[in-house]
Amino acid sequence: MAAVVADHLSKWYGQVIGLNDVSVTVPPGITGLLGPNGAGKSTFMKVITGQLKPSKGSISVLGEPIWGNPALYHRIGFCPEQDAFYDRMTGAEWVAALVRLNGVGEAESTAMAARAIETVELTDAGDKKIGAYSKGMRQRVKMAQALVHNPDLLILDEPLSGMDPLARRKTIRMIKDWGRSGKSIIVSSHILHEIESMTPNILLINQGRILAEGNVHQIRELIDEHPHTVSIKAERTRALARELLAYDDVLSLRLEEDAVVVQTGRPDAFYARLTELAASGEHGAIHEVTSPDDNLQAVFQYLVKS
Amino acid sequence: MSVFASAVRVFDLSLGQMLWSRRSVLLGLLLGGPVLLATALRIVATLYVSGFQINGAQAAGASIFGMMIWLLYIRFIVPVLGVFYGTALIADEVEDKTITYLFTRPIPRSAVLLGKYLAYLVCTILLVLPSVVLVFFLIVPTGGSGIGEAFPSLVSDLAMMAIGLAAYGAVFALVGTRLKRPLVVGLVYAFGWEPAVLLFPGYLKRLTVAYYLQALVTHQMPQDSAVSLLLQVFHEVPSVAVSLLSLATIIAVTLWMAGRTVENREYVLEQ
Repeated sequence: MAAVVADHLSKWYGQVIGLNDVSVTVPPGITGLLGPNGAGKSTFMKVITGQLKPSKGSISVLGEPIWGNPALYHRIGFCPEQDAFYDRMTGAEWVAALVRLNGVGEAESTAMAARAIETVELTDAGDKKIGAYSKGMRQRVKMAQALVHNPDLLILDEPLSGMDPLARRKTIRMIKDWGRSGKSIIVSSHILHEIESMTPNILLINQGRILAEGNVHQIRELIDEHPHTVSIKAERTRALARELLAYDDVLSLRLEEDAVVVQTGRPDAFYARLTELAASGEHGAIHEVTSPDDNLQAVFQYLVKS
Repeated sequence: MSVFASAVRVFDLSLGQMLWSRRSVLLGLLLGGPVLLATALRIVATLYVSGFQINGAQAAGASIFGMMIWLLYIRFIVPVLGVFYGTALIADEVEDKTITYLFTRPIPRSAVLLGKYLAYLVCTILLVLPSVVLVFFLIVPTGGSGIGEAFPSLVSDLAMMAIGLAAYGAVFALVGTRLKRPLVVGLVYAFGWEPAVLLFPGYLKRLTVAYYLQALVTHQMPQDSAVSLLLQVFHEVPSVAVSLLSLATIIAVTLWMAGRTVENREYVLEQ
């Protein structure tokens, strides 16, 4: 059964169009939803998770309409983009409290939460207040609440945003493992190589429309033709910058207050080396890696023109 | 799960958050006001005068307590609590962007509202209770009143306040789910509309919560000032049975309407 079927789906907010006549079938397995900020990814995510009602057309998730159908959430897990929590609770308490809303009893919810926390490798921090978590830990505890009830469909909105390279690698591995275990996963990002490392099945979205779907290798080539910008927040930015300057795929580099901003011609190779560098700890801790969506925006502009 | 069973789960999740919120700390401070006032009155009564006088007449501690209950708690603190918590039941979750976690669980959205409303009720009762009890023990013994004989009125005052909190909370929950500036509208309703229409004869006062609450007041108020005599002319109070029935209807209807609104409304979180 298809994970999601959208039929002439449109969503507008007053005069602003979020989604424009989208007809698409998302197959089972892992699907990446790729598009720059403002492309309609979040609107699509909100419609398929039943937070927004279609203005026109229809949407079905796992074969059922989602708007006003709370029973379907037994089969869906959603990890939203926003960095929002009940900060006074510990990670384990929060996940247990949310799974209790699925009708699970007290003792069972605690056990399920502990398993989910373990799955996202947060066991050591499970009893700490969420307010004290790093960005990567917060992303992982969000994923724990999404998968705690073992749903058939996981919907992950920018799950790698702000993670350090090691957490990013672990999370990608986790998502691929869940896909292999038979779950359907829809994961959004504005970074192609992130999506590509999880799945070859991609939906390209821009200006509220699906531009392309399926196995889009050509897009990859296009991405490689455009320099890719990466911002790295680290403990010792100057030492890190010196190391990065020695790489032949680094096209340019500048130092900001607590970050090194790099342009690279080969993002895959660059990210692989950055992960190794973070693991070695040779130049201090690497706290956060982000990539602005300018990279993808340039490719989308090219695609739309052609 | 049924709506009520789901609401109980939301209540479990929300009560702790609500009790330890900044709003509770601030309103807890507000509830310290009557205690400070009662302490001051007690000190004055003990050190300088024997009992209190209102308009030249000796007033018993129980009457002063009754006046504080009506003027400070029922007419001011209960509506304030109702406005500040009731309008924020869903708005807080939307503002904090945590509503997503509640609306993507297998429970009806109306259960989220109901659970939060129950948490509000318990939270505000827990805030009000110590303040009222302290004021009772500070004020009632002055002027010859006995704590034992006044105790039943304390119980009925607490019950009346719980009913007031339930009614105002439900009304402002509806305001919070329907309107764009619920806090302003709520404050205007509680401190503009209600006091204004209660002063005049006619049917408009039936569109207030205070009109029905005043029928539940058991205390005798001093009535020999010019203003109170004028108010007596227009004074019309429904029976206790009519008041209770009306308040129950207000609570049920406004909560049902608020629940319907939450079920059908789309919440667009700011990015």
